[in-house]
Amino acid sequence: MSAGSAPDVREDLNLAELASSPWQTVVWNDPVNLMSYVVHVFRTYFGYSTPEATRLMLAVHNDGHAVVAEGAREQMELHTQAMHDYGLWATVRRAE
Amino acid sequence: MTDLTVGMSRIEAAHLMGLVGQFLDVLDASPPGDSTDPAVRRLTPDAYPDDGDASAEFRSMTQSDLLDRRRDDARVVLAGLGNAGADPDALTEENSLDTVSLRLTTDDMASWLRALAALRLVLAERLGIATEDDHDDEDARFAIYDWLGYRLDALVQEVDSREG
Repeated sequence: MSAGSAPDVREDLNLAELASSPWQTVVWNDPVNLMSYVVHVFRTYFGYSTPEATRLMLAVHNDGHAVVAEGAREQMELHTQAMHDYGLWATVRRAE
Repeated sequence: MTDLTVGMSRIEAAHLMGLVGQFLDVLDASPPGDSTDPAVRRLTPDAYPDDGDASAEFRSMTQSDLLDRRRDDARVVLAGLGNAGADPDALTEENSLDTVSLRLTTDDMASWLRALAALRLVLAERLGIATEDDHDDEDARFAIYDWLGYRLDALVQEVDSREG
């Protein structure tokens, strides 16, 4: 049996924090969906105001993607499925 | 909320019925399970682009619901056009520019928006549209694609103006 060596702990591993580490729903730019339609989807589904929905749409358009929601993984998967239902290209990822 | 009234020429309505019918054919030609048709894949994109297993699992849980919704939306559009008397078989040279008037509920309109958006995604996949600059003015199919975009944009404006 190996005695093993002491783990080289350089970072505090906070399990509680890891468990609650947020996930994100990301919407990606595509050449097909209309800007007006994307704003409509963000307003209708998320209930964002027109300025906020427009800001997010422009972020998708100009930066290639935008985080449209953040929270528990299951919730982000539901949002992603909802975006797919509208034809938007959405993915799930752990918050950076 | 009161119903919305949407007008379009009889020939536009006939074309739209044909396109939506083809859209349903594309869905029906796709076997259950993971579709290899890029157009169908575009309707159920990878949720985890860097994780094939997670994407496959997500798709296995969402794909059939999503594609059923696409069929339902398409049927709402076909029913609306049918109810308005936009029968392609009744299209003649004389009546092609007559206006057909559709009365749509709020739910119908939501289906219309999703259906036109999905139809454009499928058409774009077939046309190989990968960037916003991909356009062939000589190809009549791009004119249809543009027309669908024009129609969708007008419907979005109409719905948004109602909602305030």
